[in-house]
Amino acid sequence: MSAPPYSYSYIFKYIIIGDMGVGKSCLLHQFTEKKFMSDCPHTIGVEFGTRIIEVCGQQIKLQIWDTAGQERFRAVTRSYYRGAAGALMVYDTTRRSTYNHLSSWLTDTRNLTNSSTVIFLIGNKSDLKDQRDVAYEEAKQFADENGLMFVEASAKTGDNVEEAFVETAKKIFQRIQDGRLDLNATESGVQHKPSQPGRTTLTDQSPKNTCTC
Amino acid sequence: MRVINTRFNLKYDNVDEYGFMRPENFDYERYEKFMSSYLVILVNRSKKWDKLMKKGKRLQRGLVLKRYVKKGIPSSYRAQVWMKISGANELQIHQESDLYNTRLNSVLDSDVVQAIRTDLPRTFPDNIYFIPLEGSQEQLYRILFAYAADNKNVGYCQGLNYIAGLLLLVTKDEEISFWLLKVLVDNILPDYYSRKMTGLMIDIEVFARLTKSKMPDLYRHVKSLNIPWSLLIMKWFVCLYAEVFPTETVLRIWDCLFYEHSPILFKVGITLINYFRKTLLGCDNFTSFIEVFKKMPLDIFVLDCHYFMKRVNSENKSITNALLQKLRKEIKSEKKNYELNQLP
Ligand SMILES: Nc1nc2c(ncn2[C@@H]2O[C@H](COP(=O)(O)OP(=O)(O)OP(=O)(O)O)[C@@H](O)[C@H]2O)c(=O)[nH]1
Ligand SMILES: [Mg+2]
Repeated sequence: MSAPPYSYSYIFKYIIIGDMGVGKSCLLHQFTEKKFMSDCPHTIGVEFGTRIIEVCGQQIKLQIWDTAGQERFRAVTRSYYRGAAGALMVYDTTRRSTYNHLSSWLTDTRNLTNSSTVIFLIGNKSDLKDQRDVAYEEAKQFADENGLMFVEASAKTGDNVEEAFVETAKKIFQRIQDGRLDLNATESGVQHKPSQPGRTTLTDQSPKNTCTC
Repeated sequence: MRVINTRFNLKYDNVDEYGFMRPENFDYERYEKFMSSYLVILVNRSKKWDKLMKKGKRLQRGLVLKRYVKKGIPSSYRAQVWMKISGANELQIHQESDLYNTRLNSVLDSDVVQAIRTDLPRTFPDNIYFIPLEGSQEQLYRILFAYAADNKNVGYCQGLNYIAGLLLLVTKDEEISFWLLKVLVDNILPDYYSRKMTGLMIDIEVFARLTKSKMPDLYRHVKSLNIPWSLLIMKWFVCLYAEVFPTETVLRIWDCLFYEHSPILFKVGITLINYFRKTLLGCDNFTSFIEVFKKMPLDIFVLDCHYFMKRVNSENKSITNALLQKLRKEIKSEKKNYELNQLP
């Protein structure tokens, strides 16, 4: 089962956070399996998923930590924020209370990750159009004010799910190239695995790969 | 010759005797092989329990009862015996007589109600009794509501839905399920479900230390892969193996849990990890280790509950309540100056 030494050149660590029932696990499942799991069991503590994607010509392995949404589990899940390169913060577009709690999720994220962590806001369940409880514009404004990337998505139809995970990776990659994310920092959430010994270090090849994304 | 009593007529079906749909890739052949020998054991145990129960229902604690419990309580007696050996009967006597209904009529925070409601459709969706409108969902709601009202310090914690749900499937009685849930959370387990989950964090650390002393190589391996123990075993402890292990195995674990309390939870986990020790040691990266680890509970080793429990009970005699108390105390005092959420 083991692949050749490294079939990818980077590992990015992600966490997915947000209130219980907003669809974090379904988003992860849709992203890794390309399927909607309507009978998804709720998450106790933390679950884990991976997928390799290609961004700007680089194979990147995403290590994704899916956390339990219930408040009390934060005692445990908080310890998983450390060293996340990307944080997907999810609310449910059909339940305002899950949107109202975003500021507390954001505070946790800011306090527990580092300044280079990319935070992506996802308004999930966009397929339930007639149950909408949070306007797109309102969430967009919240995202802009806080410097977050943002989409509305649906784990059910798959709409915008790929985008959210991939855009986050692109942004992280950009930050590596800008030098804003220091690969050598212990808790950057990024590991570099040269795919062919002796070849790549990032600086060697960055000009060619400059990402316009 | 195979003995089949009517309860097991469902065994060729895609639904088990507690109403759970069997997974698509369920290995009927191996299951049948196991079942054909297990049924003989069950019939045998049933006869013995019949005698024991006839002798007088007092079910004195002692070596005989302990041995009987370890070998499994017949499902027809489970509700009654669990109530007795767990101390739930005793608890009930000392409380107001209609506590369950009193609690049902109390007022709860809307947050708590909302949390319970969110988890109802997510509780055993693969069980025929938990299909919406099938009744069990509303009963489960009431059990969780009553317990949340009874213990405001805990309220509702995710995971309790599985425990209460399985209690309901076994006892088929709301009120008995309430009392069993209450005795488990209030008396039998440490503080697992309250808002800080302190007892849970401590027990995860206790488990890690037990692993360290019993399987030092594996402990080091987990450490070198940088895998937090909470990722591996938290669900085991929060759900008491429900929603993790096959149903019959969970019930056999609970038989012991109600009698001897916490040690069984540790024994089970250690036995399982030990059985897969070599395979786990062979996983040289984070992802493959976790993949193997997550698949362990589905192995035939665990499904064959009788053999599994035999191993669990014979291999880990050193894990006693006294030992656990000692380790918990140690950890508490070590970590006093730290935030417990740094654990483990
Ligand atoms: N219609 C619709 N339903 C969804 C969508 N995503 C998730 N759901 C449903 O929402 C419920 C909760 O989804 P989960 O993915 O388990 O939620 P979670 O955020 O992981 O919840 P916790 O693990 O408790 O924190 C499930 O019953 C899903 O079927 C979506 O995009 N559209
Ligand atoms: Mg989840």
